[in-house]
Amino acid sequence: MNHRVVVTGLGIVSSLALDREGTWSAMLTGKDGLGPLTRLALPLEPGQMAGQVAMDPARHQTLCERMALRALDEALDGLQVTGDPSRIGVFQGAGTSGLPVAEAYLEERLAGRRGRAVETAFQSPSTVTDALGRRLGATGPRGTIMNACSSSLLALGQAWEHLAQGELDLAVAGGAESLCRTTYAGFSCLKAVDPQKCRPFSRDRAGLNLGEGAVQLVLETLDGAKARGAVIYSEVLGYGASMDAHHPTAPHPEGEGAARAMAMALRTGHLDASEVDLVSAHGTATPANDGAECLAIRRALGTAAASVSVTSTKSQFGHTLGAAGAFGAAAAILALRDQVVSPTLRLEDPDPICDLDCTPREAKERRIRTALVNAFAFGGNNLSLAFRQWEGR
Amino acid sequence: MTLPVSDLAITGLGLVLPCGDGIEPARQNLASGTPCFAELPASLGLGRGAACASFNPVGIIPPMQLRRLDRPSRFAWVAAHQAFEDAGLDPKGDATGAGERMAVAVGTLTGGSEASEAFMRPYLQRGPEGASPLVFPNCVANAASGHLALAFGLKGPSATFVDRENAAFAALEQAVRWLRAGLADVALVIGTDGLFPLLLDVCRGARMLDRHTNPEMGSGRGFLPGEGAQAFLLESREHAAARGVKPRAMLRGLASQSSPGITGDDRARALAGAALALGAVSPDRRIGGANGLSRLDDMEARLAAVHPDWPAAIHPKCLWGEFGGSGGQLLAAALLESADRTLVTAPASSGAQFAALLEGVRLERT
Repeated sequence: MNHRVVVTGLGIVSSLALDREGTWSAMLTGKDGLGPLTRLALPLEPGQMAGQVAMDPARHQTLCERMALRALDEALDGLQVTGDPSRIGVFQGAGTSGLPVAEAYLEERLAGRRGRAVETAFQSPSTVTDALGRRLGATGPRGTIMNACSSSLLALGQAWEHLAQGELDLAVAGGAESLCRTTYAGFSCLKAVDPQKCRPFSRDRAGLNLGEGAVQLVLETLDGAKARGAVIYSEVLGYGASMDAHHPTAPHPEGEGAARAMAMALRTGHLDASEVDLVSAHGTATPANDGAECLAIRRALGTAAASVSVTSTKSQFGHTLGAAGAFGAAAAILALRDQVVSPTLRLEDPDPICDLDCTPREAKERRIRTALVNAFAFGGNNLSLAFRQWEGR
Repeated sequence: MTLPVSDLAITGLGLVLPCGDGIEPARQNLASGTPCFAELPASLGLGRGAACASFNPVGIIPPMQLRRLDRPSRFAWVAAHQAFEDAGLDPKGDATGAGERMAVAVGTLTGGSEASEAFMRPYLQRGPEGASPLVFPNCVANAASGHLALAFGLKGPSATFVDRENAAFAALEQAVRWLRAGLADVALVIGTDGLFPLLLDVCRGARMLDRHTNPEMGSGRGFLPGEGAQAFLLESREHAAARGVKPRAMLRGLASQSSPGITGDDRARALAGAALALGAVSPDRRIGGANGLSRLDDMEARLAAVHPDWPAAIHPKCLWGEFGGSGGQLLAAALLESADRTLVTAPASSGAQFAALLEGVRLERT
């Protein structure tokens, strides 16, 4: 790779706040965005807890699109994107995307009504990507990835690849996710939903809470960012990707594939394991994930794992599925900026298998030079992305 | 944007198409130009389309697994099986850990949607007791890549793209990047889609379907949906040579351009820009992505008008249907007739427009 890549913009729409700093300060003070689910009518589902954003869809605009555009505006922070539009790319991780529209259509049809076929036909997962591209006036590459829960982290990786190769000057990457009945019912029938607030890495963890929100990053080459005097949050070093080839939904019990993804991220980022101070973990609070992930961290980092801080944003936002990787990245980027790790909430009784410093209860100030962000998905799909603190060099 | 591609070889091809499974039925069908549309069975939807009626996974997908797979995953599995055989690779039988160096990139428009309908229909009617934990895992678009990883022991990078008509091209681009960056030695690129009732219902309700006859470029009557999967194995020329495998074709260029707006002019300029980005191309064979819907056909027509020197394009979607691999059909058609330079243009109703240049396409490998 020929060019260094930096993050110069970050926008967050979350269940904690509709902006970046509001979200971050709430995270550091130990607040969570979880509460009773009111967006969806699921009368027969047991206890419903979710990370719900204080926004609603508009006519002809899904909630995903609204949240993504709002996050983009914050990430741009007034930047008027100029230059060659063919050197501006948009890469998005998608989860539910237009699924609520399809659900509504199916429900109408089952009730014998006509439904909104035109709206449904044009609500594909790439709709958000196109909306962001139009807002930017970009004519460069666009990619919409649906890797389930690792989608948006790979979108960030794609943006990094294009910029590092010198093919683009600027890219917007991230993800947006809205709550919908299909995902709630799906995880519920898999017995993966905790009716109470989730407890990542805890001995008594009982599953995930679903969440929604959007995170958008502006990434540029270092040269381009310096030339325009941009505020630089952190540097993107590279990513690793792997498949478990183990089970359609369950992770490899010893984190074999996840460890390979993390090791690949270290290699592409030219990092030694001892340089990693933070892992922004997938940390879903499902019994299968958290233990396997901690084993994977130990496997990838070796003895350095003993001094690394681990945190899970799922304890604040729930599992935002297609946007989850981008949320994890946002937490890592802000931790690198402020040199403080956001806490894993409700971690009172750690599972012995999760015998790492999982940042229980309170934020932790510490030296953070580099961070890995993990996102794992159905199909045994593993992603890990590396960021480095920006120290002005 | 043009992705520099210097030495990537396509060494394996696998096809599940409405005209049959495998390369020879596809070659014959493309040569004859016979459309594959017919009235669909009710299980796939009301209306006409190009279904893979003769699809036969027996002996390839074990019965226990077959039950758990959605339609796009079944197609993808069989196409991948053919492609590995065609390329002389046995990833699961390789004890050297080669699977860790094999990537999978999938493009699909409908992947996960068939399962979502199958999951939600009983849920909306009966509540949680109607929800099937066996169906839900297939509701994600990347279900196929997970099943392929399990089936063939693939442990390298994986991504699934859902960029409408050109998802398979987005997958191809990602695969090229992984190979170029040294993150994999071999990449399996798949385009896969399956028909399902809600898809037909939505498209018919949106008046996108040709209601009278077979789709025809420039007719403006609409398209007809199709299904199927196409699998392509990519590796560097050196890697293929070391294995003693002769390429089916060399991928010489891949370019994409997006439109800043939503007008037909915007999209047409983007497609022309993608083709132009491949350089001064003088193709001796052309594959296009017209499907009978004005939105896509206009882009191809404008491109042809600007390049009267190019040979007339073959439009496989007018034989095999739209959605039948999210652009993979076009790449497949490009590999079904020997030619020195085959240009593929792939218009899409949104997102990036793609163009690809294949050189040295050889149907016979001796």
